[in-house]
Amino acid sequence: MSKLTKRYGPVTALDGIDLVVPRGVTFGFLGPNGAGKTTAIRLLMGFVRPTAGTARLWGHDCWRDGVRARADLGFLVPADALYPDMSGEALLDYMASLSAKPPVLRRLLLDALELGNDALGRRLNTYSKGMKQKLALTAAMQTSPALLVLDEPTDGLDPLIQRSFEGVLRDLRDRGTTIFMSSHDLAEVERTCERVAIIRDGRVVAEQTIADLKDLHRRVAEIIFAGAVPEGLDSLAGVHVVEREGSRVVLALGDSVTPLLQFLGDRDDVVDLLLSPPRLEDIFLGFYDSSRNGHDTGEPIGSSNAPELAARMRE
Amino acid sequence: MSAIVRMTGRVLRSGLPGLIALLAGLALFEFVQPLVIASFGGAQGLDAIMDRIPPALQAFTRTRPEFLALSGLAGYLSLGFTHPLYIVLAGAAVIGFAARALAGEIDRGIVQIPLARPISRSAVYMSRVLGVATICGLLAVTGPAGMVAGLLYARPQGEFVYGHLGAVALNGLALFWAIGALSLWGSAAASTAGRVVAWAISLLVLSYFIDYFAGIWTPLQAIAFLSIFAYYDPTAALVSGHANGTSVATLAVVGAVAALAGLVTFTRRDLPA
Repeated sequence: MSKLTKRYGPVTALDGIDLVVPRGVTFGFLGPNGAGKTTAIRLLMGFVRPTAGTARLWGHDCWRDGVRARADLGFLVPADALYPDMSGEALLDYMASLSAKPPVLRRLLLDALELGNDALGRRLNTYSKGMKQKLALTAAMQTSPALLVLDEPTDGLDPLIQRSFEGVLRDLRDRGTTIFMSSHDLAEVERTCERVAIIRDGRVVAEQTIADLKDLHRRVAEIIFAGAVPEGLDSLAGVHVVEREGSRVVLALGDSVTPLLQFLGDRDDVVDLLLSPPRLEDIFLGFYDSSRNGHDTGEPIGSSNAPELAARMRE
Repeated sequence: MSAIVRMTGRVLRSGLPGLIALLAGLALFEFVQPLVIASFGGAQGLDAIMDRIPPALQAFTRTRPEFLALSGLAGYLSLGFTHPLYIVLAGAAVIGFAARALAGEIDRGIVQIPLARPISRSAVYMSRVLGVATICGLLAVTGPAGMVAGLLYARPQGEFVYGHLGAVALNGLALFWAIGALSLWGSAAASTAGRVVAWAISLLVLSYFIDYFAGIWTPLQAIAFLSIFAYYDPTAALVSGHANGTSVATLAVVGAVAALAGLVTFTRRDLPA
């Protein structure tokens, strides 16, 4: 995507996005509702025309040369956008025929997603939302496309099938498939994706590997004391008090934990100590919190708006 | 080409029960026409009844003496092809398909199925044009086929040449094509099937009444050419055995221009989420 912009009247949905997804990578595209994720995906698919800039797949312009851009692409069609009068099997056959590629992965996917032959013989108007989602996922991936574009792929799937689906994604990545997915499930993105882009107000605010993103952010220590939280924690090198409440304190740590461990080693009132690496969810919430506070530190925690944003993400 | 045919087959199958019901209704309606005429004693029996209708009412029902004198049984039978119910049934089939096949699929997101694959918007649109053409062909032959069955069954008195129904079918095909292509243009621009149906029915009703009242109210004659029904004359076709070439060509061109405008509209528009 190069300077990709989409405006709907006075509303700017995407504001000059520059983003390159490397081949063979599982790439997460993150942002809350209204951030511009779906608009970017629709531009990639050629469903809408960019106001400015270009979206390209394999070097082909998605709007002007859409047929070639989508030549070897699997797209997850929304589960409620399938022909209700077709049987599952007929729909898979139809979608494979339009792709002009044999459905080489169909059986594997149906087994992994636990969609049986009896279900495939039934009309889609008898399917639950989860079954439709499984069928849509199978339809997107059955021809083993070189590029997969998935918008909320695990929406409607139960946790066991979600894990199975993540295994399928890893298998596809091992086969060299490039996967571009948006998801509200940040833990899932953390488990499946190698790189992520975080989008906010139509702009990409971060684009890195998950490992690099975590390296840039602080670990978290939660300590419970027998009595009140002692003074002096703030003055330790690389330690920042995020939250203090009664006998519990949450700290953000810099590169070294030695000053903190030395401080605690001199005390006998430490009841519990929990050290956690930064989670993608915390990093993500940090980006949004900092934007609301008017600066872009990307600090992960201590957000008064985090619960609200987390709730929006889970919607 | 094969992808276009596959897509056409799919959109036709998704509305097949409704289409079959409308075609059956159309065939039944035309089947009944000869039975009704036979029950009045054929063309001669109807002539006697029509003579007793006041001239003003004759004008209103378009059964003027000159019409009766010239047309005979063929003229009475042709009323089955200008009757509002015939137009409504045929219009519902073609407008319903055009609205559902594009705007309906845009509204429900189903259009993403082909468009997410290496298939151009032009191909998706042309598959719908092919669907409209198929339905127009079915509509054009179903009515005459129903009438043939009715004639063979009832055998009303009066002269009739079965081959003349071919001219009616040709004129009907041109009319339905124009209606279907105009509806498809609306469908290419809209995002809900309901809006297309409302727009197309309004256009159809307006067009029908311009043509109808232009026949009995002189001031409207100046704009009668704007109505697509001005180019639809099944009576002349059934009596003479020839569809007016200019009229058929006009309807064909109206349909072709509308279909082309729809293609341009659909390939340039944004699809709603």
